[in-house]
Amino acid sequence: MSENIDEMNVGSKIAFGQMALVFLLGTFSFMAIYSAQQASKYSDNFILKQSIFYIIGFIIAFIVMQFDSERLKKACWYLYGFGIFLLALLLIAPDSIAKPINGAKCWFRIAGISLQPSEFMKIFLIITLAHIIQQHHTKFEVRTLKTDLVLLGKLIGLTLIPIAFIMQQPDLGTSIVFIAILIGMTFISGITYRLLLPIIAIGTGLIGLIFYYVLQAPEVLEKYLGVDPYQFNRIYSWLDPYNYPSDSGYQLVRSLMAIGSGEISGKGMSGRQVFLPEAHSDFVFSIIGEEFGFIGASIVVILFFLLIYSWTRIALETKNEFNAYICVGVISMMTFHVFQNIGMTIGVLPITGIPLPFVSYGGSSLWGSMMALGLIFSIRYHHRVYMFSTRA
Amino acid sequence: MNKKKGSNKTLTLPIRINIVFFAVFFIFAILIIQLALLQIVDGRKFAMELSRTNEVVVENSVPRGKIFDRFGKNIVDNEPVYAITYTKQQRTTNEEMLKTAKKLADIIEMDTSKVRERNIEDYWLAKYPKKAAKLLTKEELIKIDEDLLTNQLAEAYQRERIPKSEIEKIRSNELEICTIFNAFKNGYALSPQIVKNSGVTFEELSIVNEHLAELPGINTTTDWNRVYPFDKTLKSVLGKVTTTTEGLPKEKADYYRSLGYSRNDRVGKSFLELQYENILRGEKEKTINVTDKAGNIIQTQETIPGKRGKDLVLTVDVELQQAVEQIVTEELLKQKQNPKNSLLDRAFVVLMNPNTGEILTLAGKQYQINPDTKQPEINDMALGTFTTSYNMGSAVKGATVLTGYDTGAIAPRQHQYDTPLFFKGTAKPKKSWERMGDIDDLYALKRSSNVYMFLTAIAIGGGKYVENGPLDINPDAFRIMRNHYNQFGLGVRTGIDLPGEQIGYKGIVNMKEPGTLLDLAIGQFDTYTTLQLCQYISTIGNGGKRIQPHILKEIREPEANEKLGPLLTQVKPTVLNKIHNTDEQIARVQEGLRQVTQEPRGTAVGTFGSAPYKPAGKTGTAESFYDGPNKEMKMEPTMNITFASYAPNVNPEIAMSVVVPWAYQDDKGHHMNLEIAKRVYDTYFALKAQRGIQ
Repeated sequence: MSENIDEMNVGSKIAFGQMALVFLLGTFSFMAIYSAQQASKYSDNFILKQSIFYIIGFIIAFIVMQFDSERLKKACWYLYGFGIFLLALLLIAPDSIAKPINGAKCWFRIAGISLQPSEFMKIFLIITLAHIIQQHHTKFEVRTLKTDLVLLGKLIGLTLIPIAFIMQQPDLGTSIVFIAILIGMTFISGITYRLLLPIIAIGTGLIGLIFYYVLQAPEVLEKYLGVDPYQFNRIYSWLDPYNYPSDSGYQLVRSLMAIGSGEISGKGMSGRQVFLPEAHSDFVFSIIGEEFGFIGASIVVILFFLLIYSWTRIALETKNEFNAYICVGVISMMTFHVFQNIGMTIGVLPITGIPLPFVSYGGSSLWGSMMALGLIFSIRYHHRVYMFSTRA
Repeated sequence: MNKKKGSNKTLTLPIRINIVFFAVFFIFAILIIQLALLQIVDGRKFAMELSRTNEVVVENSVPRGKIFDRFGKNIVDNEPVYAITYTKQQRTTNEEMLKTAKKLADIIEMDTSKVRERNIEDYWLAKYPKKAAKLLTKEELIKIDEDLLTNQLAEAYQRERIPKSEIEKIRSNELEICTIFNAFKNGYALSPQIVKNSGVTFEELSIVNEHLAELPGINTTTDWNRVYPFDKTLKSVLGKVTTTTEGLPKEKADYYRSLGYSRNDRVGKSFLELQYENILRGEKEKTINVTDKAGNIIQTQETIPGKRGKDLVLTVDVELQQAVEQIVTEELLKQKQNPKNSLLDRAFVVLMNPNTGEILTLAGKQYQINPDTKQPEINDMALGTFTTSYNMGSAVKGATVLTGYDTGAIAPRQHQYDTPLFFKGTAKPKKSWERMGDIDDLYALKRSSNVYMFLTAIAIGGGKYVENGPLDINPDAFRIMRNHYNQFGLGVRTGIDLPGEQIGYKGIVNMKEPGTLLDLAIGQFDTYTTLQLCQYISTIGNGGKRIQPHILKEIREPEANEKLGPLLTQVKPTVLNKIHNTDEQIARVQEGLRQVTQEPRGTAVGTFGSAPYKPAGKTGTAESFYDGPNKEMKMEPTMNITFASYAPNVNPEIAMSVVVPWAYQDDKGHHMNLEIAKRVYDTYFALKAQRGIQ
């Protein structure tokens, strides 16, 4: 009898709604990659590879789903350590297994398969931070400004370690993803506004100040911070792509033209006219915007929004704080990815090379996203069991 | 588990989650709004921008015009050469070119002998851009961004730092790909670049054609090589055409570009090919491609068929030209055997119609020792007939006598006394080669009296000869005499339709040495070209008209087969000026020149006395100074021997000048000038007779 109930529940324990959303995003991914492949002279069959990536991705998601929160908590330090180990290994690895691509050493390349450890490190960080926050709250039942400061220090410290490695690659975009996760999880950790508000104020002020200097007096930054002035190029080209003849300015101009000329209903599947480098990976959204127009592009945005909405609901429904933290970590990560990637193709943000989750071509990125999905699935999968036990 | 603070915490968490979700909503709203702005508000603008197209014209070369001799013999022809071409798109990347090059290398054989180190470096830099980037230090990269280091210099660093082993690896494994890649790189966007055009076999062509679909940008066409059925005959005058690699000559590139040439077009580089470039160039086959803003070809709109360049018919009689070149060669080799003629190394002959200015032959030969084989060889120097000048000696005396008549210094039939002239301050007398006594103008020409010319020149200068007295003449005499000479073409451009014509050197007038006026009168002061000498003698032969020599006879429409096409333009004789003398005065000198070759005691009667074609002419022997390639012998006294002539002496049909500079060093020597002239006349009239019979 009880077995029967369990079996009945297995069906409802699996988040079919989210799966459907991911499938829809996958459909856009395949259509866009197919189109990119038509035009380019790449000999690789991206469609086939992406299909394999998707299959492996779902397997990863289902494996991750099997871990409940207790096991994740136990495993988190091993995962965190393993992730840092991979990042460190990447730095010292010979070119034969970690070939720099476009001057950045972000990838292991073994037997024809590329792996980007930072994509997995994001997930490990989310789990670790969630664990740290929960542990802290258990330890310090009475929260004071001091305990909050200690927690903040732990969170920042744990996030800075992987960032330090990733900046060596160098990979600015991914580093900012880590910061986005940190911000989201710090906020959700319950740290008092008396701490948060000054931090937000200082952060905003600093960003404003940096922008002021970048635009008005870059030589000051160069002199006192030792920043290479060419780092500012992407900001200049973002603000004025038509007059800033750099690679990223060119990409932005092409991308705006592609998406803009898609108009409301797009040019139809494979009907694109504007060709962009990296159209199948980082600039995949420009294909979607051009071929499926405003309707298609906003459907993709809405799909992401619905996905994040369902995660928010799970975060609100779960009685397990740890799970809620995980949810918010994943939400922060996804939101930033989507905002940064789509934002750069439509001129809202400067260009940084990070992929659009579930849509851009690439194994590591997809598997990272699938792991995140697996974490959320796991909350739902183990949720009812937990509910039963508390009720009983 | 959570008692007191729990409620607080469980309240905080959902609120903050809601705040996070609100932030997410806000962010997604920004994306949707921006998308709406881009795609709905500005969408039309972008779409229109994108649909704006450009027309890009792709041109395919057509063969140049052919060149024929006056009898329609083909001198310069085109040989079709199968060629494999590559056309870059505006946005073709190195990567794509490398890929195509690799595929092409599998199919065709490439001549890799001309690959230089630099080409291999180019290839390596293109193939391994990341490795190449690593060859620069971080400091250097920053310097490039700050414009402290030019890209060229940075590239030079990279080239230096490419590991030698990498270069060797390419040299032994990928040389063909490297060669092909470099050919691709040389091209300009949307303009077909020749990858291979020599030795393309028919099999290769077929294989490439079968694989065109896999070779983006590759095409097969027919290119054209110049071929010369008469081999080296007149080749230096015919000139050269640039190769596709040379393209437009740098110094004239802008000029040609303004005429619609592409940078890798082949154009006439020298002489005839250069002079008549605008006629020989065809109308290129044009394909108009419509491209979008991105440079992708949307459609090929239309093809305007090309047209082969127009044909040139030259005035040259190539058979005669060949024969004359042969004669000059034989005579040069014959006289070179005599060690007394050590400075002799060249001889020139110009044959022209004295009435029309049509050049029948421009022949020049130079005896040279091949620096490699150390063997003597005879090389073409036809250009020397109008680009090099020499003292012509007595051959110009016809002009001196006519100048004398015109200025009133002497009158026809005037007698003078030929005896050595002595002047104050100079020990050496000015004299003729023999003492002739009382002679008239005809005798002076026939026996080539110097003294008669000296006295005439003194009279032109308003002076009077007094034995052992000073030579007192009007300094203006130089100008007067030169102006008169100019009327015959001596010392001015003849106006031949070839680039690079020289006018000769004018001796520097110094009134402390008035004797140079006397030298001028006997052709030993200023220098003239062989062509000028021919124009001068033609002017006398045709009764006083200076005719512009020309090598182009007709322009004809191209014809598909070997025949001449319809006549487009015929070059008409141009009279540049008439000399200032009366017909009687001219007839008087004509008679003098007739006596040189036909009357007893004439200086050339021994050679031409019995010639049936009855020539008239004037010999010349100029005391000169060596100025040839042998630097050690520079300024060594030597003799130039010349002959200016026309035949027959009444209504002449042919004028000839023969110039043999530095013929010998002694006072007396051979008569190679006359021997050449005799053999050339014989050949000319024999050919004429032969053709008449046909």
